[in-house]
Amino acid sequence: MEPMNRRHFLTATGAGLAGVLAAGVPPARGQQREISYLCWNNFAPNSDKKLAEIGQRFTKDSGIKIKIDHIAHPQQAAKYASEVQSQAGHDLIEMRMHFPWLYETQLVDVSDLVAEVEKKYGKVLASAQETANVKGVWRAVPQYHTFFVAAYREDLFKKASLKVPDTWEDLYTVGKELKKMGHPVGIPISQNYDSISTAGPVLWSFGGMEVDKDGKTVRINSPATEQTVEWYKKMFRDCMEPEVLSWTDASNNDTLNAGKAGWIHNPVSAYIVARNRKLVTADGINHHRSLAGPHGRHETDVPRHIGIWKFSKNVEPAKEWIRYLLGKREVFDEYIMSGDAFNLPVYASLLDHPVLKTDPKFAALKQEGVQFHCYGWPAPGSDKIQRITNEFILPNMIAKAVTGTPTKEAITWAEKEMKRIISE
Amino acid sequence: MAVGSVRVGSAVSRPGLRVREWLDHERFLGPAFVTPALVLIVLLVAYPFAMALYFATSNAFIGRPSHFIGIRNFVALWQSDSFRQTFQNAFVFTGASVALKLVLGITLALLLNQQLWFKRLIRGAVLLPWVIPTALSTLGWWWMFNSLYSVVNWSGIALGVMDPPGPNWLGQKYYAMTAVVTVNIWRGLPFFAITILAGLVSIPKELYEAAEADGAGPVARFWYVTLPMLKPVLAIVVLFSTIFTFSDFNIVYVLTHGGPINSTHLFATLARQVGLESGQIGQGAAISLYLFPVLVLVVWAQLKFVRRQVY
Repeated sequence: MEPMNRRHFLTATGAGLAGVLAAGVPPARGQQREISYLCWNNFAPNSDKKLAEIGQRFTKDSGIKIKIDHIAHPQQAAKYASEVQSQAGHDLIEMRMHFPWLYETQLVDVSDLVAEVEKKYGKVLASAQETANVKGVWRAVPQYHTFFVAAYREDLFKKASLKVPDTWEDLYTVGKELKKMGHPVGIPISQNYDSISTAGPVLWSFGGMEVDKDGKTVRINSPATEQTVEWYKKMFRDCMEPEVLSWTDASNNDTLNAGKAGWIHNPVSAYIVARNRKLVTADGINHHRSLAGPHGRHETDVPRHIGIWKFSKNVEPAKEWIRYLLGKREVFDEYIMSGDAFNLPVYASLLDHPVLKTDPKFAALKQEGVQFHCYGWPAPGSDKIQRITNEFILPNMIAKAVTGTPTKEAITWAEKEMKRIISE
Repeated sequence: MAVGSVRVGSAVSRPGLRVREWLDHERFLGPAFVTPALVLIVLLVAYPFAMALYFATSNAFIGRPSHFIGIRNFVALWQSDSFRQTFQNAFVFTGASVALKLVLGITLALLLNQQLWFKRLIRGAVLLPWVIPTALSTLGWWWMFNSLYSVVNWSGIALGVMDPPGPNWLGQKYYAMTAVVTVNIWRGLPFFAITILAGLVSIPKELYEAAEADGAGPVARFWYVTLPMLKPVLAIVVLFSTIFTFSDFNIVYVLTHGGPINSTHLFATLARQVGLESGQIGQGAAISLYLFPVLVLVVWAQLKFVRRQVY
């Protein structure tokens, strides 16, 4: 081999550098495969710790470095909007509600990944499909969901010989007794997502809807909505305290755990916190199946997915991460187990997951006979349905009615606001 | 040797001299001083403002192509009940907050201008609400107004001035507005007090002595000496506070999130909800710019007033 002199060295490295600069991509040998993942601060904190642990193992096994960042869920939309506008940021993002519809044009088609995962675990649940499959294309890979259930003070119910409610009307009957006992029902009627998570199932159970299946026809002005509003009015008057008008997403958890509320509609997070923090109320809390109305038993479901931005320069390594986290049964199980039944898988063969057997109080989470839907059902997900959700029109309609606005007037107001959004 | 050193010296000093000569001329020196500020203004003010204008007149949606639609966003917004409510809220919130901050600010400044023990300590303590990050302090207020743990209601009930369970601070629209105004006053009062105090200190003592010699009492001295002398300071303070209060975000976002029933939404919080959370950047920008013409008028009128006072 001819020894390299200074002239040869400069020529070779200069040409190489020019090539790298012209292509804008470093040579394969010099590339540090690194991806970044932005997800929410999980309400089950152990889940985030486990995710970090899995991330480290992924790096060890695949040689791809992963940086996992967390953000509070109310900040997600703003953060995602800024990443899309600047076309820079994380490679992977955790998405909830109708986010895949909102950012449809910015998300990589991940239908291949969903097909791989479905092959292992069975079909994706309808609610997850409604939110992550945009016009026939999977824009995010469904991972787990968090759904509402009834959390109640079993000890108080036993003490007062109250029957566990099975319908929304039953809840009114026991709610009156609970309020007399100083332990009112806690259903938020304020500008937060928990309020919609209860208002939706009540409306659906009475046969109502906000917008029809076509996604265009506003159907809020109906006898079913009137029944819903009337039910809320009597619940507010006889079973609840006015404080529900000011509640945040966490308030119903707080009031149950503090020993005040006798019944709340919420995911199991309240109990998990009470149990893990060894609160005195923990032993008395239990769960029961979601309530029914004349038109069935419906429940709000907020599935969470993983999407990949189109502007990412690391699409393939990002897909490898999803395959590692969701596609490997032992890893996915480990991740789900860490969430204390707060995060449950959205695939058919995993519905009876071992996490449900970790605590007898999770039995109600099987939710037999319950239909799950995301906000806005039966309208397909869209930016307009998401905006109706974000403007809290449904809880504001109810808040107006329970604070004195005539039922008909409150519903007409909601109809006008929804029609305005749909027509824009 | 001597020749060489002269040559080196002249080679080094010539450009230096030339720069010094340039800087002696106003036509070079002025732009040299102004350019850095101008660059900053263009980058941090003009460019974002131009972008906001562009977005407000387009159907921009996050991540999608957009086109010019004129003033359609502004017209559409006026059809929205939540926007009209926000418009009203902004004036009530700003009017009530600025008026109360002005009255309380003058009172506090007069008190701080007295000979007090631990004067420096007290003046420093007064600034605390202004110094603490707003999001953090508002979180404290949120706890105080929280329906379950409200220390305000607990104290009121304990003192016998409130009937249990006490006001529903964040769940009833008038109380909620009272709560956000209260926190805004608490946060903005130091700015008024300290600025007015600076104005008070600069009023010549001779004026008070002359007024006293003429038989003026404390009220007359305040009315005929203090207040006229403070007018330019007050105008500037009110101007700044009006702009800051109109565009407030943190207090409402943390305390009420715009509720109940949109009764505390301000332009900034609604713009975030529509523009960022729902992706309608065009409408979000239009919400932010809705008040721009009004604020320009306010600024123009107040600056005109200040100039008249000064010259």
